[in-house]
Amino acid sequence: MSQERKKRWVMVVDPDKCIDCKACDVACKRENGMDAGTDQQVYRNWITSKGVEGTYPYLKERFEPSQCQHCQNPPCVKVCPTSASYQTEDGLVAIDYKRCIVCASCILACPYDARYKSPQTKVIDKCTFCAHRIAEGKLPACVDTCPTKVRVFGDLNDPNSEVARLLATRHYRVLKPEQGTKPSLFYLS
Amino acid sequence: MNTMTMNNKLINTRGDMIWALMAGALCLVGLAGLGNYLLQGHDAYNVYRQVPWGILISTYVFFAVCCTGLCLVSSLGHVFGFKNFEGIGKRAIAMAIIALVSGFVVIGLELGRPLALIYNLLSPNPSAPIWWMGTLYSIYLGVLLVEFTLMVRGMHKYVGYASLAGFIGGVAANSNLGSVFGLLDARPFWQGPFLPISIIVTAAISGCAIVILLMAHRYAREKMPEDIQRAVTATSKIFALLLGVLMFFEFWKVMSAIYGTVPGQYDAMMILLKGPLAFNYWGLEILLGMVVPFVLLMSSGGRSLGTAVVAAISTLIGLFFMRYNMVVAGQLVPLRAEVDAVGPSGLLSYTPSLTEIAITLGGFGLCLALYMAADRYFNLDEQGH
Ligand code: SF4
Ligand code: SF4
Ligand code: SF4
Repeated sequence: MSQERKKRWVMVVDPDKCIDCKACDVACKRENGMDAGTDQQVYRNWITSKGVEGTYPYLKERFEPSQCQHCQNPPCVKVCPTSASYQTEDGLVAIDYKRCIVCASCILACPYDARYKSPQTKVIDKCTFCAHRIAEGKLPACVDTCPTKVRVFGDLNDPNSEVARLLATRHYRVLKPEQGTKPSLFYLS
Repeated sequence: MNTMTMNNKLINTRGDMIWALMAGALCLVGLAGLGNYLLQGHDAYNVYRQVPWGILISTYVFFAVCCTGLCLVSSLGHVFGFKNFEGIGKRAIAMAIIALVSGFVVIGLELGRPLALIYNLLSPNPSAPIWWMGTLYSIYLGVLLVEFTLMVRGMHKYVGYASLAGFIGGVAANSNLGSVFGLLDARPFWQGPFLPISIIVTAAISGCAIVILLMAHRYAREKMPEDIQRAVTATSKIFALLLGVLMFFEFWKVMSAIYGTVPGQYDAMMILLKGPLAFNYWGLEILLGMVVPFVLLMSSGGRSLGTAVVAAISTLIGLFFMRYNMVVAGQLVPLRAEVDAVGPSGLLSYTPSLTEIAITLGGFGLCLALYMAADRYFNLDEQGH
């Protein structure tokens, strides 16, 4: 019937590979023209330290990079009065900036702290999965830049994609599953 | 009517003068805040990524709740047929409109882009409680304006229907207001059945308190007519009863939060009980808002107007901080403990900026000024049928 199969963009993250170099943070800000200045609150992705593991001398600090989860059941979209926040066909959660009244409901509804107010545009923003790059067939900036290849990005509806193969063969989890948000970020464990 | 002579000029007495000065001063402070907001935008506010809702949201909620409360009390006359209450209806509805308008102004200055509100109509999202809030309260404002117009024109035949619509609209808008917070699953402190119940009870309480103040002010220099006197006494009694109910709710709300197992709820409650908001909670919300007025009203049996006035002022201050505490405490538990803004206590913090405080005070100034104007241009006393 339909020739064009619907895409489902997801990201598979291998947190064990993260060395906290913050290249993704820098790449994201440059790619998306974010000028944070001295504002510590302006970021689309972040690295969480999950503490030190093991016994001396075999110690290892674990990191967990994260960003907007592009939830399949996104609470931020549900609470947005003007439909500025919406879901695209291929599973992205996007913002139509001109519709945003900056009521901040979405910031409060998001269980992951993924949203912020842009100092440049003065409206709410967040990780877009670099939709403008995907459209050109490129990878998101944070995926592209990562020296240890922590993030793998692709179309889960394509059984031959690397993300589909990883999720078929490896154990994985999502963040805050109890929130029922159905994230599109999968963490290998 | 003797009131006619009184209403001819805005300022007749020293008392009026003091009120006018107060309203003017508050409005000036508000204008200063507005100016700073226009210059600096949201940067003039202390809300930030982790605590995006501050005092302007809680002030809006306070005004909106007062509006509903006034409507509830006024409907006792025209909807529920308590004759004594008909004499306070028009004044209460006028104040309800003014409170809601003041609330809209304050929240309009909180929204980063109020002009984009047009998309509330163009691309509505009915699954969003905030969409309902905007829509219901706008319709509600329309209903109140119709009701007030009918009252002013003396079209008593229709006032009853309009009052009923106002009553239903008020309850609907008010219970939706609870869901604006209650449906944010990421913030467990606001979840559960207590919020909508407590909002409607506090609405009725604020309605009683404001009606007492309005009537005490109206009849400060002349004898209160008997029916008004009876209505005010009844209002004081309802006021005391509702305070009792509220304290009962509050007790169980605290108990269920500290014995419950919902993560995030306990921590937020502790912020109120012994954390950074403890003074606001115990001193202002509980003591001034509930205990003091309850004791005052019970000891006077609702018969002393002076005592009722003190109780009303005390309650309104308490309710204002109750809104503030509710809005702020729900956000201080961080979603991610490692964000920069978390202090040694493991909590986020928020203190309103001078601009936010100025706009809040301006909201009260506007409310006062509009009421004085309404009192002058309309005869807010009910005429006979
Ligand atoms: S992570 Fe947050 S902002 Fe992103 S889709 Fe989910 S709820 Fe929305
Ligand atoms: S801040 Fe903007 S995107 Fe977020 S809920 Fe409000 S209108 Fe929607
Ligand atoms: S996908 Fe793009 S927007 Fe999202 S975190 Fe990565 S670089 Fe930033």
